[in-house]
Amino acid sequence: MHSNEIAGPTRYVGLENYHDTWSDPRYKKALLNTLKYTLLCIGVILPFALWLSHLLQHTWKPARPVFSFLLLLPSITPPMVLALLFLLVFHGRDGLLNQMFVTPFGLKAINWLKDPDWILTALVIQSVWRWTGLATFFLMSATDGIPKTYLEAARLDGAKPRQSFWHVCLPFLRPMLLFILAYLFIDAFAMFSGAYMLLGGSGGTSDAGLLLVTFTYQTAFEPFNAFGKATAISLSLVPWLVGVILLILMGNRGWRIRAEGRSA
Amino acid sequence: MANSSRGAFGVNRGATWLSTGILTGFSLLLVYPFAWMFFAGFKTNKEVFEPMQLFPKNFSGEYYGRLLSGEWFDFWQVFLNSCLLAGGQSVFAVIITAMAGFVFARYRFKTRAVLFILAISTILIPRQVIALPLYGWLIKLGVTNSLWGIILPGVVTGVGILFFSQVFRQIPESLLEAGRLEGASEFRLFWIVLPLANSALLTYALIHFILAWHEHLLPLLVLQTPDKLTLPLALSSLYGSSLRYPKAVIMAASTLAVLPNLILFALCYRRARSALSEVISD
Repeated sequence: MHSNEIAGPTRYVGLENYHDTWSDPRYKKALLNTLKYTLLCIGVILPFALWLSHLLQHTWKPARPVFSFLLLLPSITPPMVLALLFLLVFHGRDGLLNQMFVTPFGLKAINWLKDPDWILTALVIQSVWRWTGLATFFLMSATDGIPKTYLEAARLDGAKPRQSFWHVCLPFLRPMLLFILAYLFIDAFAMFSGAYMLLGGSGGTSDAGLLLVTFTYQTAFEPFNAFGKATAISLSLVPWLVGVILLILMGNRGWRIRAEGRSA
Repeated sequence: MANSSRGAFGVNRGATWLSTGILTGFSLLLVYPFAWMFFAGFKTNKEVFEPMQLFPKNFSGEYYGRLLSGEWFDFWQVFLNSCLLAGGQSVFAVIITAMAGFVFARYRFKTRAVLFILAISTILIPRQVIALPLYGWLIKLGVTNSLWGIILPGVVTGVGILFFSQVFRQIPESLLEAGRLEGASEFRLFWIVLPLANSALLTYALIHFILAWHEHLLPLLVLQTPDKLTLPLALSSLYGSSLRYPKAVIMAASTLAVLPNLILFALCYRRARSALSEVISD
């Protein structure tokens, strides 16, 4: 890596930038926040979408296309616009979220974007609102692709709805679930627009909402252009991403082998 | 299943109404902010901060009008930039990734597996992560502060190659054989096969357009002068100096930034859905 690729003469500094990055406490904070954020997003969205796609199988038929269209609304909206809307949702004491779901239950209004205990939760809520519909849509398409004869056979064998869901539907949905998992993982890891807008480019109160991409951007442009270092931070994300995706793929294979072993 | 009122798991009417109810509730949660945003464009500053009030007391199209007349930024220029950027990326991406997908799906050659894995692995690395190194390259190429600087890095995507290789795999080999016997060149064969995939082409163009329309970080780095701004950038600059502007303007601009995607998506929805579920269930 070079010391500064944009302005002034470049100087070869070896691995210094990488070393600086790793020993920076803010980098560790950002990494930890990003991991927490990613796990929370996936942990909420995936089961929720699975449940909704299951409900979609039972809905009143004529309403289905309407629902599936509405589910995709947030994913066709620019993240920039979503962030603006969510400023209103999280706004201080009188935000939509407080007025709809917090104060009516007699709880104290939460200052979502200022209180360090809640910043990350606010970012997760935004992501859940945004991606649950898309995940549901994909799962719905995958569920529609399950041959009806399998479900019928399970029913004739006396399987309860719950059993046929776990033992017939879920194995069919596995590839799609893994695809969504990978998608959410990559998206959460690269979260920028939402966090950047909601927190005004900062990491929020005591860096409680500092994510890696925001940190990269800050390092690159504020207060002085540490471009080489910012590049080092960006590139340090790649092994994480590749590692986890490989784990997901390996999990897929292990799962399949075990399932086949059981059926044999 | 014989009885069409039954879902996949064979349940009764009560469950039908319950699930319809829950989904209606969820859909309302998704739609409310959009409806609110649209109406907020007509509101006074004070009303904008009343999130539970959906409709303004009196509608005045004043802010929409002033926004379109370019009072705060040259709206039509910025809108045109966004369209050129998203449209350009989308058209080039369809041409290039469709060709690549056709080759990967239809030809056997030595480096095929390696190249395919390389292409697919680009999906794993998000644009935001490589934005800074990419910016360095764009400076060397001399395409900063130009829409080409955003269009070019977006024209080849791993997702596109994967998508089209799936699509072209479904075309019967006999068709290609017949073409070869008639003496058509390989490129001509691609050209013959292309219309068979037009739903898929449209779908991918739509998805790519929407994603390009969303781009924020790279344009933020590359585009600097006001005549080159895209809608997300103009919005964030409006927001950044929001003390000087009525809030309704920001909401009106946001609404207009969503509208093109919404219209395109609604027009193509039916075809896109069937094309997508074909590729998904494969």
